[in-house]
Amino acid sequence: MRFLALSGLQAAILAVVTAGVIVALYFLKLRHRRMVVASSLLWGRVLDERQAQSLWEKLRRVISIALAVLIGLLIAMALGRPEIHRLTGGGERTLLVLDASPTMLARTSDGKTRWQNAVTAALRIVNSSAPSSEFRVADTTGRVDAAPTSDRRQIREAIEKMKPMAGLPRFPEPDIETAHVRFITDGIAPLTVPKGTIRESVYEEADNVGITAFEIRSTPSSALGYEAYVEVHNYSKAPRETRLIVAGAGGQRIERTLNLKAGGEFGESFDLSKFEGGGVRAIIQGPGDALALDDEAFAYLPVARQTKTLLVTKGSPYLETLLKLDSLVDVTTIKPEQYQPDPGFDAYIFDGFAPLDAPARPSLLIGEVPPTNWLPRPMGTAQNPKFASWAETHPAMRYVSLHDVVLQRAVRLDPSNLTVLAESEDHAPLILASDMPGTPRWILLSFSLANSDFPIHSGFPVFIDNALAWLSREPLALRRQPGLVTVPIENAEIKALNGDVVEAHPRESGTIFQADGPGLYVATHENVRQYVAVNLGNSQYSNVNGGSSRKDLPETTAAGWLQQELWFYMVVVAAVLLTLEWITYHRGVTL
Amino acid sequence: MTKTVSLFDDEFLKKLEYLSILSKRLFAGQFKAERRAMRRGTGLEFADYRQYVAGDDFRHLDWKAYLRLNRLILRLFEEEEDLPIYMFLDSSQSMTYGDPTKFDYGRRVAAALCYIGLSNLDRVNVIPYADKVRGELRPQRGKGRIFRVFRFLEEIATGGQTDARESFKTYCTETRRRGLAVVISDFFDVSGFQTGLDILRHFKHDIFVVHIASHEDVEPQLKGELVLVDSENNVSREVTVTPSLLASYKAEYNRFCTDIESYCSKYQLGYVRTVTDFPFEELVLKVFRQGRFLK
Repeated sequence: MRFLALSGLQAAILAVVTAGVIVALYFLKLRHRRMVVASSLLWGRVLDERQAQSLWEKLRRVISIALAVLIGLLIAMALGRPEIHRLTGGGERTLLVLDASPTMLARTSDGKTRWQNAVTAALRIVNSSAPSSEFRVADTTGRVDAAPTSDRRQIREAIEKMKPMAGLPRFPEPDIETAHVRFITDGIAPLTVPKGTIRESVYEEADNVGITAFEIRSTPSSALGYEAYVEVHNYSKAPRETRLIVAGAGGQRIERTLNLKAGGEFGESFDLSKFEGGGVRAIIQGPGDALALDDEAFAYLPVARQTKTLLVTKGSPYLETLLKLDSLVDVTTIKPEQYQPDPGFDAYIFDGFAPLDAPARPSLLIGEVPPTNWLPRPMGTAQNPKFASWAETHPAMRYVSLHDVVLQRAVRLDPSNLTVLAESEDHAPLILASDMPGTPRWILLSFSLANSDFPIHSGFPVFIDNALAWLSREPLALRRQPGLVTVPIENAEIKALNGDVVEAHPRESGTIFQADGPGLYVATHENVRQYVAVNLGNSQYSNVNGGSSRKDLPETTAAGWLQQELWFYMVVVAAVLLTLEWITYHRGVTL
Repeated sequence: MTKTVSLFDDEFLKKLEYLSILSKRLFAGQFKAERRAMRRGTGLEFADYRQYVAGDDFRHLDWKAYLRLNRLILRLFEEEEDLPIYMFLDSSQSMTYGDPTKFDYGRRVAAALCYIGLSNLDRVNVIPYADKVRGELRPQRGKGRIFRVFRFLEEIATGGQTDARESFKTYCTETRRRGLAVVISDFFDVSGFQTGLDILRHFKHDIFVVHIASHEDVEPQLKGELVLVDSENNVSREVTVTPSLLASYKAEYNRFCTDIESYCSKYQLGYVRTVTDFPFEELVLKVFRQGRFLK
C-alpha cells in the first residue's frame, strides 16, 4: 500500500495520532454520569451475573473501541489517498497527447470527425485506467497542457477544452515521472514522438478538396487595382467536381466549376476591379467533402479612392509632374512658408522642408531637410554614395529598382529605432522609414531629387506610389491561420465580420485572440485599423490523407478490481460502520 | 426530616371505619375486643379442657367429668380480646425515592391500617425502622388516638441502611406479645428480605407484607454510561445501561418480587405489592380486599 497524498511517515503519524485521539476521546467518553438510585442491590446482581456469564460483555468495550479506531483510521487514511496495486491497479502517470492538427477535423465514415473519435478514445483510456492513475493531458498545439492529476473530472475538462487548430505542431515533453506516453493521432502531422510512445490512430481515409491559398494583392500595372489569387487542391483518391465562388461585399461574384483529378490542383488570379471594397469570401462546394475548415477563405479588398496629398516644395518639376499624373493621388502644392497642418489631407510630401513639429498625418520627406526634434540627427554628409542594398520586401520598396541611381550627395543620418529601406556601401542610410506605434508613419530620403537622377528612373514613380500607399492607403488584410491569432496592435478591439466583438487579450506589442475557423476580423485601436484574414490555406492541413492506421497499444491498461480509488471505498466502509454503530447503539446492541 | 403530608380527609376516614382487619389466626389480648383471641378465658364459647392446677378459677371445674373420672378437669372458654398490631414501617433512605416517595406511600398505608385497627379496638403499635428501630408509638387503643398516630407518622425521619433482621430482633425480644406484624417496606435489604421476616416468624407473629415499589424501581429510566450510587450505603458501581441491561434488571426485579411472594406463600404470610403511582384509595379499598387483608 502506498499513499498518493502522503509520505509513508506522514501516513504513519496520521494513523497514530488518529488512533490516539479516538482512544483518548473514547476514555473521555467513559467518564460516567453519577446517578443515585434507591438501591444498587439488584443492579449489582444483574451486573455480576452478566459479567460472569457473557463473553460478549467482556469483549464489548474492546470491540467498541476497536470499531471506533477502525472508523477513524478509515477516514484518516482515506485522506491520504491510499493505493493498493492489486486492488486499484497502477497509479502511474500517463502523458496523454491528442493530435490537435486541423486534419483531425476531417469527417470519417461514421459521421464523426477524427477529433471526436480521438476524444472518445482518450476518455476511454482515462476511464479504463486505474482510479489512482495520473494523467497529464496535452495537445500538440501547446495550448492545453494540464497538470498531472488523477481527478477524472479535471482530466475530462482538460480533454474537452482542447480544439484542433493550425500552428506548428509540437509534442509535449514527458516529465521524469511519466511512465507511459499515449498519443492519439491521425498520423498526418509530422511529429517526433518520444521512444516508447503508444499510438492510437483515428485515421481513416477521406475525400477532401480544399482552398489552399486565397490572397488579394495589388496589381502593379493598374492604379488601385487588386486581384485575388485562389488555389484549390483535390486530395481525394478520385477526381472531384467542385464549384468555386468568389464573392465580394457588394454582391459581386465570380463562379467557376472545377474538375480536379485525383491529387490535382487549380490556381488562378481573379481580377477584382469590379469588386467593391470590403470582405471577399472564396467558397468551394462539392459533395462528400471531409474537411469543412478549408472549404472557405477570406480576404479584404481595400476601398479604392485617391490619396489626398499636400506637397510642400519650393519647386520640384519631376515630383509635381509625377503626382499630377498619378491617378491615385489628389495633390495640392504649396510653398514651405504657406504650410499649415491640415487634417483634411491623407498624407504630406515635404520636399527640402520639414515642419518643426511632427505632422499629424503620414509624411514623405525628401532631401536635405532642416534638423528638427522629430527627425534623425544629421551626422555629416556622404559624397557620391551608391545604393548598395534595399529592403525589397518592404511595401514601400516593392518593385523598386535602385541599381543605377546616381547620387551626388546625401546627409548621413542616425538610423537608431528606424527602418533602413536603403543604404550605401558604407552603410549610410539613404532611405529611412519610421513605423512607431501611436505615431504617423514617415519615410525620409536623405538626398534631394536635384542631387540625384532618381526621378528619371523607372523605380521613382513606383516608389512614390508605394510610399504613399504604405503611408496612407488602407492596408491589405494580415493573413493568419485558425487558432491563436496575434495582431500587432496593442490593446486592439477585435470584431468579426458580422460585427460581434471577439474576446481578445493583450500581449507584448500586440493583441491575441482565438479564431476557431476561417473568417475575416478587424482589429482597431484609436485611429489604427487592421483587417485580419484567417484561413486554413495550407496544403499540409488540407491533405487529410497519408496518415497511418497504426495502433500499437493494448485496448485498456490493466485496472485493479476496484473501479474507484481506495479512499472512496474506505469512506463508504466507514459510513456503513458508522450507520451500523448508530443503529445498534439505538437498539442497545452496542455501548 | 420527611415532609409533612396530609394523610386522609374525613370522607376517606369514614370509609375505612367500616373495614376491619381480618386476622388469619387468633391472638390473645389484654382487653375484650371484637375478635377472638388465643387466650382461654371468661368468654361464653367452650374451647377445651385441661388439668386443673392450683390457682385456677374453680368456677370453671367440670364437676360431671370429676364424678366420672375422679379427676379435676377445668373447662376452658374462648374469650374475645383485642389484637396487637405492630406496624413496622421501613424508614431507610431507599424509601425516599419515587413520586410520591415510597415512604410517604407507606405512611399512608400504615395510617390507614392504624385507623382501621383503632376503630376495631385493636392495640396499634407503630415501629419505624431502618438499620435499627427508630422509636416507637406505644400501644394505642381506640379511634380517638388516631391523631396521635398521624402525628407520630408525620414526625418520622428517614435515612440509613435497611437492616430488618437487627431491627425486628431487637424489638421482638423486648415485646413478648404476639400479634399481627405488618411490614411495610421496599425490602431492599443487603442481608436479604427473608432475615427480618424470619425473626417475626420465629416470634410467632402473624405477618402481613406490604411491598412498596416506586416506578423507578420497576422500570428505571436510565441510559448510557453511569455510576450508580446506592442511596443507603453510598456504594458506587460503573455501569453502561443498555436496553439489554435494563431488560436484565427488570427480570431480576421480577424475580426479586417473586421470591418475596413465594416466601410469603410458603409460610402463609399475607402479601401485597404495589407501586407508588397506584391510586392509594384503590389500593386500600380494592387491593387489600383482593389480598384478603380486609373484609
